[in-house]
Amino acid sequence: MKSLVFILLIALSFSPVYAQEKVYLRIGGQDEPKTLNIFKAGDKWSIEVIGWFFESLYTREPLTHKVIPWVAEDYPEFSDNVATIKIRKGITWNDGTPLTAHDVKFTADVILDFQIPRFYSDWEFVEKVEAVDDYTVKFYLKEGCTPLFLEGTLLSPIVQRNEWLPVVEEAKKKENPLKSLLEHQVERPRSAGPFVFSEWVKGSYVKIDARKDYWAKGKLIQGREIGPFYDGILFKIYGTTDAAVLALKKGEIDYISWTIDPGFVAELSKEESVTVTKSPGNGFYYLAFNVRKKPFSDLAFRQAVAYLVDKEFIVSRILQNYGEPAYTIVPPGNSFWHNNQTPRLGAGLSKEERIAKARDVLKSAGYSWDSAGNLLYPDGSRVEPFDILTPPADYDPLRAMSGMLIQEWLREIGVQATAKPTSFATIVQKVNTEQDFDAYILGWILGVDPDYMRVFFHTNQTMPEGYNPMGYSNPTYDALVDASARECDVEKRKELIFKAQEMIMQELPYVPLYFRDEIEAYNSATFTGWFEDLGGIGGSIIYLKPLSSEKPEKKGICGPIILLLTATLPLLLRRR
Amino acid sequence: MYRYLLHRILQIAITMFLLIAMVFILFRVMPGDPASMVLDPKMPPEAKALMKKQLGLDEPIYSQFIIYMKNLLHGDLGRSFYYGRPVYDVIMERLPNTILLFTSATIISWGLGYALGKRIAWRRGTRFEHALTFMGLLFYSVFLPWFGLIMIWIFSYRLGLFPLGGMITPELWTAGGAGIIALVLDVLHHLALPLFVLTLLSFAGAMLLMRSSMLETLREDYILTARAKGLSEKVVRDKHAARNALLPMVTALALSLSFSMSGGVLTETVFSWPGLGKEIVSATLNYDYPLAQAAFIFLAAIVLMANLVADIIYAYLDPRIRY
Repeated sequence: MKSLVFILLIALSFSPVYAQEKVYLRIGGQDEPKTLNIFKAGDKWSIEVIGWFFESLYTREPLTHKVIPWVAEDYPEFSDNVATIKIRKGITWNDGTPLTAHDVKFTADVILDFQIPRFYSDWEFVEKVEAVDDYTVKFYLKEGCTPLFLEGTLLSPIVQRNEWLPVVEEAKKKENPLKSLLEHQVERPRSAGPFVFSEWVKGSYVKIDARKDYWAKGKLIQGREIGPFYDGILFKIYGTTDAAVLALKKGEIDYISWTIDPGFVAELSKEESVTVTKSPGNGFYYLAFNVRKKPFSDLAFRQAVAYLVDKEFIVSRILQNYGEPAYTIVPPGNSFWHNNQTPRLGAGLSKEERIAKARDVLKSAGYSWDSAGNLLYPDGSRVEPFDILTPPADYDPLRAMSGMLIQEWLREIGVQATAKPTSFATIVQKVNTEQDFDAYILGWILGVDPDYMRVFFHTNQTMPEGYNPMGYSNPTYDALVDASARECDVEKRKELIFKAQEMIMQELPYVPLYFRDEIEAYNSATFTGWFEDLGGIGGSIIYLKPLSSEKPEKKGICGPIILLLTATLPLLLRRR
Repeated sequence: MYRYLLHRILQIAITMFLLIAMVFILFRVMPGDPASMVLDPKMPPEAKALMKKQLGLDEPIYSQFIIYMKNLLHGDLGRSFYYGRPVYDVIMERLPNTILLFTSATIISWGLGYALGKRIAWRRGTRFEHALTFMGLLFYSVFLPWFGLIMIWIFSYRLGLFPLGGMITPELWTAGGAGIIALVLDVLHHLALPLFVLTLLSFAGAMLLMRSSMLETLREDYILTARAKGLSEKVVRDKHAARNALLPMVTALALSLSFSMSGGVLTETVFSWPGLGKEIVSATLNYDYPLAQAAFIFLAAIVLMANLVADIIYAYLDPRIRY
């Protein structure tokens, strides 16, 4: 036994201290990609990796979120329903072949033929795409111009025809072509982007390498130089935020790619090499009503609730000020589309003033109260107790707590509301599928384009599984947002979207509650060039420059010794 | 014996069928809809319907069940909705990791429990017994995620003896120059802390079982006889008492070995260990029916088989048992 320990100790002392000359950006994530198939990938962890392999005709500039030409040479030229786009020369795939108009056409054909779930909603209005020559494509639209064409369709990733043609042909022969295409296992995706796939040890890490011949390297966007200026990215997996935070403090990773709870901020701020950032989140949280039902069908009642809900209180006490009270649903971080002039019911009022305001609104609409203080409809019948569905505290403590507060505030005006923590799936089932509910609290994660202003409140979305389970229906609003979806002049569209935000805050099918900030952390000693943007600092990755090459730390060998001792404990015991 | 075996196999087949049916139904009465996870909510309704049809979700439940059973009998567990890969591949990718950690922990806990259990029974009423029982129960009742995090903080972060989690050091593996010994040591290095924590938290179960079983055997006449023959204490304890007290421990081992294959979602999360437990939970939460069902059925099959094996081993361990 002793000799075995001895041999192992010798072996351990020879274990190499790994010298790492190459510089990798090390990102800590919570999970690994589900798939490397771009048509299938819908989850954050897959996109975080394979997003680097695909270029698109246009892209969004950071901070302003303006759409700018990327693979395309310039903005599209429209004549009638046809958009002509010229493609840059000199962009290559990592197998050396050029990216051409044929790749663009092929991608479009796949999305349209198969109705690829992830992309099709941005492509519905495209009739067909034609490759005029190697570097010119024509998009034929079903109807006239739509802003979604530039803000959605043209931002789709381009796949390589050579890589996918055999797969697509094979899939078309199958009984379920779409299923077969999505289930295709991609081992090494081709890349036209800044990084190329290198290796993936399942359950442990993914490595992607920088492409030395990346076409856009050295270009400037808003004065920032495009990289990559390092050798690649290493995605590591940590099961808990605690472990990732420790790894960041210890210098094992450079960036944690998910939002950290405010509770970790104090601990991380103490560390000299760690910087904590607070970026505006691109999403909102809200209370919604079933406006098909009494009392929610009455605008006065909804206004009274809006007066009662103290958003400032929720933000300061529950969000610990890592967020902002919401008086519209377009987040302030999306500065171009955010309207900060919407009605702000109850803003800045004390609790007593809020209650008084709410009672005034109800009184002037004919409501009254019985001797026990219960709210009565104008016809004298009692306002029945109702439930507010909220996610449970283990899923989202913030929304669960907000629900409790709203319940108490409603009781102040004699409305017996009950906040009911309910599993997310059940809320979705009751609200979206069955449409059998009174009120609920949920949130949305958004894209940059404000087309959601149309979808969330349009009459044509009131069917089960639609986006408007509240049943809100207003022809004036429908006409307004329909116009916004046809308006290709950005400034004119902005006016319409601003008007829509105002209308929603007057009509209150939603009472928006708050916008959350994204708290993230990075190691400021390894890379420079991080900046905050809508949704986080992940957009800075391509611009980062390494500071100095790190000295690899020596591996401790005490661990294996303790392991050996543990393993031999029963044997040692036997000796006695 | 063969008749018994045949009888048991038939029993297992019936149990399996009932279990598959139950798992199948349970997943479908769960509130929510797998399509909502696979499908983009922004999708137009026609595209949604097409997708549902291709996933087979538009069929009535009973025909889904028949299709499922038919595929199962052909050895086809289906494809995960979420990964788009064969369920078998996903499970097989995770299973070795789970076995490495959880099955080793089970075996070590069992060995430790056996060794300690027979000793504390032998020295009943001494301080040694009280101290070990107390310690064992104390760790047995500790909440694992909390304890695991504290251990990581002390041993990995403050003392730097172990990695913070995971199974391998990516930097070492990607460098390419590391020899096989270095790689094996790297895995052992990552394995040490979670293995230690798991063992510490679970050895009490086996120890107490061994103790009570041993106490019973110690009352038997043959122990008195053995002593009267003048055999050494150690021989009486190990060869006469412990050997006979082993029987319930065998069942316990067979069962816990089979259950260990399911991993543990809390342990895997805290130690960032890429095992099966987390996969099963996330499959359930994502309505990934094929993956979750297959995982449950697979585990059930192992548990049933382990029971059978334990029964057979019984006959060898105790010649008095005949079927």
